Formats: sequence, structure tokens, C-alpha cells
Amino acid sequence: MRFVKHPKLAACLCAAVLMCILSCQKAQKSLTVRIGLPQEPKSLNIWLASDANSRKILDLIYQPLYTRDPATLELIPWLASEQPVFSSDKLTCTIKLKKAKWSDGSGFTARDVVFTRKMFFDFKIPRYYSKWKVVKDLQAPDDHTLVFHLKHPSAIFLSRALTAPIVSEKEWKAVAQKALKTEKPLRFIQDYAVEKPLGTGPFSIFEYKRGSYIYMKKNPWFFASGETIAGHRLGPYLDNILFKFFGTSDVAILALKKGEIDFYWWEIQPGYIKDLKNQNNIKIFFNKKSALYYMGFNVRKPPFSDRTLRQAIAMLINKEFILTRILQNYGTPMHSIVPSGNSFWYNPDVEKYGYGKPYDLRIKEAYNRLRAAGYTWQIPPVDSDGNIVKAEGMKLPSGDPMGKIVILTPPADYDPKRAFAGTMIQEWLRNMGMPVFARPMSFNSLIDAVKGKHQFDAFILGYGRLNLDPDYLRAFFYSANDRPRGWNMSGYKNPYFDRIADEQRRLTDVYARRRLIMEMQKILMRDVPYIPLYNPKIIEAVCTDRFSGWVEQVNGIGNIWSLCMIRPE
Amino acid sequence: MRKYKFIFTKFAEIFIIFFIIMTALFFLFRLSPGDPVSKLVDPMLTPEDTRHMIEQLGLDKPVYIQYLIYVKDFFTGNFGHSFHYGAPVSDIIFSRLPCTVLLFTSSTVLAAFAGIFLGKIAAWRKGSCLDNFLSISALACHTLFIPWFALLLLWGFAYKIGWFPLGGIISPELWIDNSSLMVKILDVIHHLLLPLATLFVIHLGSYLLLMRSSMLGVLREDYILTARAKGLSEKVIRNRHAARNAALPVITSVGLSLAFSINGGALTEQIFTWPGIGRELIFAVSNNDYPLAQACFLLIAAVVLVANLIVDLLYAYLDPRIRY
Repeated sequence: MRFVKHPKLAACLCAAVLMCILSCQKAQKSLTVRIGLPQEPKSLNIWLASDANSRKILDLIYQPLYTRDPATLELIPWLASEQPVFSSDKLTCTIKLKKAKWSDGSGFTARDVVFTRKMFFDFKIPRYYSKWKVVKDLQAPDDHTLVFHLKHPSAIFLSRALTAPIVSEKEWKAVAQKALKTEKPLRFIQDYAVEKPLGTGPFSIFEYKRGSYIYMKKNPWFFASGETIAGHRLGPYLDNILFKFFGTSDVAILALKKGEIDFYWWEIQPGYIKDLKNQNNIKIFFNKKSALYYMGFNVRKPPFSDRTLRQAIAMLINKEFILTRILQNYGTPMHSIVPSGNSFWYNPDVEKYGYGKPYDLRIKEAYNRLRAAGYTWQIPPVDSDGNIVKAEGMKLPSGDPMGKIVILTPPADYDPKRAFAGTMIQEWLRNMGMPVFARPMSFNSLIDAVKGKHQFDAFILGYGRLNLDPDYLRAFFYSANDRPRGWNMSGYKNPYFDRIADEQRRLTDVYARRRLIMEMQKILMRDVPYIPLYNPKIIEAVCTDRFSGWVEQVNGIGNIWSLCMIRPE
Repeated sequence: MRKYKFIFTKFAEIFIIFFIIMTALFFLFRLSPGDPVSKLVDPMLTPEDTRHMIEQLGLDKPVYIQYLIYVKDFFTGNFGHSFHYGAPVSDIIFSRLPCTVLLFTSSTVLAAFAGIFLGKIAAWRKGSCLDNFLSISALACHTLFIPWFALLLLWGFAYKIGWFPLGGIISPELWIDNSSLMVKILDVIHHLLLPLATLFVIHLGSYLLLMRSSMLGVLREDYILTARAKGLSEKVIRNRHAARNAALPVITSVGLSLAFSINGGALTEQIFTWPGIGRELIFAVSNNDYPLAQACFLLIAAVVLVANLIVDLLYAYLDPRIRY
């Protein structure tokens, strides 16, 4: 009766009840894995999508000829049925293909690969064109055979060219023809709206509601379904994937704890770990990353054109401190440009500059090196009794006082680890009498100063996802790449390094190439244009209520193997 | 005749201001550090690939040529394609706009009604416990830190009690199931309530304080004294004579807030994963997505200018002291 007297109150209560019913009625699909993403993918157009979130979706759709074994990281046949067969001069490579189908049921053939190559060349598609430039010609003698003719023997052909995703001729032919008639063909195909990409992967897009979710269904034609590859008998053992987007990690973590998502496909900051460990239904994974966080020098000009000074600074940087205090032990110190997780290519025998030594000994060694090179101090860091004191007034070998040195870092809100590492390095170097200032600046400005204008002394940057093939050593330190926007940001020049960097690219004998890669790492750690600092672990969490069987690999559990292997509990 | 001249002058002013904003936006984005290409490409892209990308984006041309193309495109209704999404900018904006309008318009209007009502009561009972309570609460609401408050609401009502969803505008599970239209509408309302409550509380404080101070001023006017002398009831004096006049500045403020509301509240939208235009704007600016950022700002500028124009014209029409 009271409700009749108060119709507004009654209406409010009814609405509240309805909402409670609604929230209870949400369908719980037993075979739908719900994955949280930190941001909406920018595009489903493979030619445009370069952001991490788009790649997560598209990597489940478009497949390459070869992929990496999650355990050994070796390249294994994927759409290809066997390892490539090279001619004796290494200029011809024959590849047999599996019998696969696109997600619409049409057949995947060698012609699709030939078409994909044509797309790369016709449109000079960034990321892929440069990797495929080595391919002079590609023929498809039959539906399941490919013959690549190379311009020259290439070590990176397999790891870079053959791991590119293959697109369907049926999906793209008409668009490509139309695009080629326009003034800006690449822009045309990148702006082409793709709603449901056609792929050969384990899942395909069923529905995409912008701003809210992406719903993928199992591809019934997935070529690897039921096959055992890299020791895994592949499913998928689920019917659907539902990707939900979250604006902040805080909310995504709450959704994970509440069981509203089964996996948050993003790195979790160490600050959340304690809380998540207290949850019975949460499992946390810690995996190595193929990443590099480093301090770089401008070796084009003094004072960092002097190798001894760079070596002394490497000696003074306490990587153990960075690891324990800044990374909270969730990571590894780096000693070479190649991460230690990339075990085949990593050289453990490079110069480690005081690693494991006590602070006093580091200072003494750095002092001795610098003094021998002609550096002097008003107050040296080691007094006449051999005690460590705070140094002042460091002078260059020319006798001039050392000028102000600025270390550029990203701001703390972009990456607190790099910003704090910059502050710590500033303090360690000041103790040595160097007038060093760590200056956080916006990431755009930092890249502009370091990569575009080369106006800097030193900087701290990082690569979150380095390719597993170490050819990036050449990209980062090759003399010809020392130009505005070039990847040799330090301006490092070493003709011998250039020569072996070129040579390793041509070697198809993987062990011979490995020797050169090891040598390159040694040279770099002798000349130290970069000081590798740390490699944080990738921390991910899943809700264990509904699914198990996530596959761990370098770069974490968010990968196609996991989604082909997880099963309902 | 003078009336038409006044209207024409106002339109001309608006057009000139808009053109200045348009030009300033173009050059401000180009002056900002970094370039869109560095955000679009993967780190291992070769300089040749980068150059090719720059050509395709039209960024290889001199800035003045880019500017002329920009102006020409704008006046031919072509807002360009987003560098980031590769989709037409107008499509992106119009897909996000309804979500922002729904959330911010409803919260502003509700907060204004509540603010006017409570401000009126507070001013009427000036010095009472209720007035003190409302004033202090309004100040607290006005100074709340939005992200903290929004996260607190999410934690309490969505995570702990479970009455509301943890962000978003819909529950995918319901929409995938092809639920009925009524269920979908209720679902959107269900998702709307928590962000709405956040914005309502934030806006309520300022409207309440504005209304209270305006009402206090009105209550000192002679015509209120006259109304009392005429023996009118307290309720009539408060509601008909004082509150109606006192609400005018609040309504003006609400009008301008509504115009600004299309830029949304990036923080609120971010925390509640509300797919509105505020999030897009921040994202476009931080990624140097010139076409999208420029279009978002131009839209805001256009709406604010038009709102100002309407206010100017209405004032001229309603207020006898303003002459053409």
C-alpha cells in the first residue's frame, strides 16, 4: 500500500530489482574465454594495425608459413608442412604447404602466398616490404608448393620474411586493384574498412561492437586442429573468445578478481602482486621478456665520444640495485644487448663491468680507468688513503672542466622504472664528480631529440618487444643508420662491426652466424654505445575458475598456443 | 533592419573566431614535439619505409601546402581519415558522440535540477544546520578528485556489493545473446548509473553553491520585501519570486556546461571504460593523430561558439536593457 502512495519509490525499486535480475542473468558461456584488453584495437585492417592490441586479435586470424616453438623458440613449420629446402647456392628455397582452408571454407593455396608477396611489393607495405626485399621472385608451381628466388643468400629470410602473415587473394584482390588506381595506394588500403578479416587461424571475428567488445568464434577449418605441433596437441578446446576493453588496469584487475574475465592480456605492475596472491582463484605467471632497457650515449661528440668514460660509467651503474629496488626483483639485469632469455643468440661472455662487485671496488676501478685516461678532479673520489669520498670538479683529459651532462628519460607517469633509473644513475655519477642531471621529458620530445635531431648527451630508453632474431644489432649500430630518424641513435661507427654485421646477414649456416652475433655483442660491450640495464619480467594473471592449460613462453602466456590449448576446468 | 545587422555581425564574428581557432589548431599540432609516424610504425621500420609512410600521410609536403589542403578539405566537408584508426574522422566522432552526450547531458541536467532545488533550500534556511550541512557537502563534492571517487564507487558498488557492472556501456554477454530491445535498454541504463552518479556528485556541488549565492542575493531585493508585505505565503515567495530569478545564472552556466560536455570528461570515461569522445580526444592528442584531434577540437569550438551565439541572441531578445 505504501508503494501505491509513493509511485516514484515503487518505480525506483522495480528498476533496481530489474537491474539485479539483469546482472544475474548474464549468460555464462562455459566455452567462451573472456579476455580483458587494456585498450580497443585500433583496426582490423592488417596493413594498418601496428599496435599491440590489434596484433593480439589479428595474430589469431592471419597466419605465417613458419612460427616459433614456444619452448625452444626455434622456427617450426606452421602453414608450411616441412622445413624449407634450399638449393646448394642458397639462392632458391622450396617450401611445401599444408592443406589448409580460409575461415570461409575456401582453399588456401600457394597463389595466396604469391599474392601476399605482390601486396607487399605493390604497396611497399611498411614492416613487410623491407623484410621481403630479398625475394627476387616467387613462383607457385602447384597449389601447395612455393619456390622463392632470392637476390642473395640471407640469414634472416626465414626468421623475418617467412614469419609474415599470409592474406587471402579473395579478400584483397579487388581492393588492391582499386587502390593501385589511386594517388596514394598504400593509404587507400590502410584506410579500407575491414569488418571480418579472412584468415586461416584458429579463430575468426563473429562480431565487433566498437568501444565494447570483440567476439571471436572457433574457425572450423583451422588447419592445425587435432595436430601435434611442438609437443602440443592443438585445439582450440573452446568455442569462442570474448575480448572486453578496460580503461584502466585497476578496473581490469577488479574484473579478474571477480571472475568477470578469465585473463587480462596486459602486463601487471608488481604493485598488484601481493593482492592477487591472496586470491584463491588467481594464478600469476612470471615470464622472461624479449626486451631491452638501456642507457645510450651520444658518441658523436665529447665527452661520450671517449670509450673509457663510457666504460667507467658502465662500471658505476649498480644493476643489482636497479633490479632489487626499482624492479622489486621481477626482472633480470642485462649485460648484453641481446636478452639472456634469447638463449641461442645471447653471449654470456661479454664484459660485465663490475657486476657483483662491491660499490667501493667499482668506484676504485672506474677511478683508475679514468685517471689512466687523463681525467683529473679537484677532489678525487678516492683519497690518498684509499678511502671513498664524494668527488668534485671532474676535468676532461684536455684539462677543461666537464660540462653539464643531461640524461634524458621518459617521465615517471609513462614509465616509472626508467625515470627512477635515470635519477639513480644521476646520483652514482655525481658521486664520481660528474655534473649529471636526469631530465624526464615527454616521450615524443625525447624521441625527437634523440632520434630526429641527435641533440642529447645520454638517454634511457627501451624496447618492450625485441624480435627474437638478433639482426636488430645491425639496425641499432650500423654506421649507415646514423642519420636523422635512423636507428643508430648513438651515432656509433665501427667499420669492423659494420663488416661482420653485413656478413651475418648473408650466412645461412646458423652456427656460423651465431659466432658472428656473439662477436658483435662482444664488440658492443667493449665500446659501450649502450649500457644494457635490465629486462623486466612479464607478469600476467589468469582466473583459474574456468580454464587451465595456458602455455608459457618468452613474452608471456598471451599467445596463440595458449588459446589453442586452454581447456575448461 | 538593425536586428538583422546585429545577427549578421554576430555570425561574422563567430566565423572569424572559428577560422582563427582552426588555423591555431593546425599550427599548434605541428609545433608539438614528436611526429605521428613514430607512433604508427613499429620500431624496426627502416628509414625508407618511414619515408614512404610520411608520403602516404601527406606529411612530406611543406606545412603551408598541408594547411591549404586542410582548409580546402574542411570547407568541402572532408575531415580526413584518422592516422591511427584509418577510418573517416567523422565516423569516429559520430560513433562516440552519442555515448558522451548521453552520460554528460543527463548528469549535467540532473545535477542542475538537484543543485537548484538544494541551493534554494540552503539559502532560504541560511545559517541553519541544514544550510551548513549542504554547503559543506557541496564544497566537498566540488573538490572531489574524480579518479579517486570513481574508483571508490567502482570498488564499492561494482566489485564488493556487485550491484553495478565494472565499466563499459553494455554487457557483451547480453548483446551476443540477441536479447530483446528492452533488456538492452535496461542494460545500458544499468551501466550508466555509476558514471552518472560520479558526475552528478561532482557537478551537484558547484550548482548548489551557485544557486545558494544567487538566491541569497535575490532575497535581499526590494521585490521580495514587497511580496512579503503583500502577505504572500513563504512557499510562494521562495519558489515563484526568489528561486525563479535566482536560477537564471545557474541555467546560463548549465547551458555552457552542456556545450562543453561534448568533450566529455576524459578521466571519467577512461575509468568507466565509457566509449565517449573525451577518451578519443586524449588518445588522438597523445598519438599525434592530427586529423582526429583537430576535428574533435573543432567540434567543441563550434558547439561552444554556437551556444554563445544563442545566449547572445536570447539575451538580446529577452533583456530589454540590451539594444541592437
